[in-house]
Amino acid sequence: MIKPLELHPKLHGVDHTARPTWKLRETVHFYRDILGLPLVHCISAKGWGREKENHADFLHFFFDSGNESTIAFFFYIGTEQPPELVVPKGYMAMANHTAWRVESEAELLDWQRRLESHGVKVSQFVRHEIIESIYFRDPNWYPLEITRSLRDVEEPDAVDAAATIEAAIELEDSGRWKTIEQLWRNKVKFVQASQDRAQEKTPA
Amino acid sequence: MSGFYVLDVPEFSSLVDAAMKSGRCKVHPKRGYYQFVEFENEIEILRRDTSMNEAVWYGCLTGGLDGKIAHFDSDRLKLIATNEPILGLDGS
Repeated sequence: MIKPLELHPKLHGVDHTARPTWKLRETVHFYRDILGLPLVHCISAKGWGREKENHADFLHFFFDSGNESTIAFFFYIGTEQPPELVVPKGYMAMANHTAWRVESEAELLDWQRRLESHGVKVSQFVRHEIIESIYFRDPNWYPLEITRSLRDVEEPDAVDAAATIEAAIELEDSGRWKTIEQLWRNKVKFVQASQDRAQEKTPA
Repeated sequence: MSGFYVLDVPEFSSLVDAAMKSGRCKVHPKRGYYQFVEFENEIEILRRDTSMNEAVWYGCLTGGLDGKIAHFDSDRLKLIATNEPILGLDGS
């Protein structure tokens, strides 16, 4: 039986994310020296487990990215980068990215200037609905983002997100979903249901 | 009843103002977390009448649409009334 929500196990933020690299020197230079993230831990080990895959000897190293989180890399010694792990060109592969938080517009500007002063190509500021971001790439071509919150996320955001996703899953199940217009139209009934629920909570 | 729903958050509020400026709509009182902007046959909204950048503008109908998009580019959004089924003309 599923426990009530308040008894569910909880997560407490990001410990680390990790990805492979075949550019050790450049990666360390970028994260430690350009971004200035302290190198805080490194595992160096003989390959173990995964006998059938002949697991390579490896390094697994971690940079402190603030708030008790790290960004980590694996370096598999003596291996070639498999083609399927080369970051593809194009916007779809950019979906797979890391976004770090800063606390002010001034900090975001500082980061933009710092990166540019080291020859890193950085985007302009992009304001989305609730965040403002800059985008850039590391030497492995992994997409990175630094972002600041423009406002807190509140109850209307969560209610609206639920309506969007319910409408979207219904369209996905149809197997004939092609456009965002279809979603916006299909969402109406879920929005109206949320309005009815809100009205039941606070009768006029 | 044709129209679109606008979530009551700061980044979308200027859409309601711009719709009112078009003069061809009726803005309903807020219900739940949304305002419904009703139009009769069609409505045209210009991005320059909003305070939206493109990243927000291109998601401005995310509150839900009872109507059809006749035109939608960086500058201009035109909506018209429709009876077409959401998933096309095969009756679904």
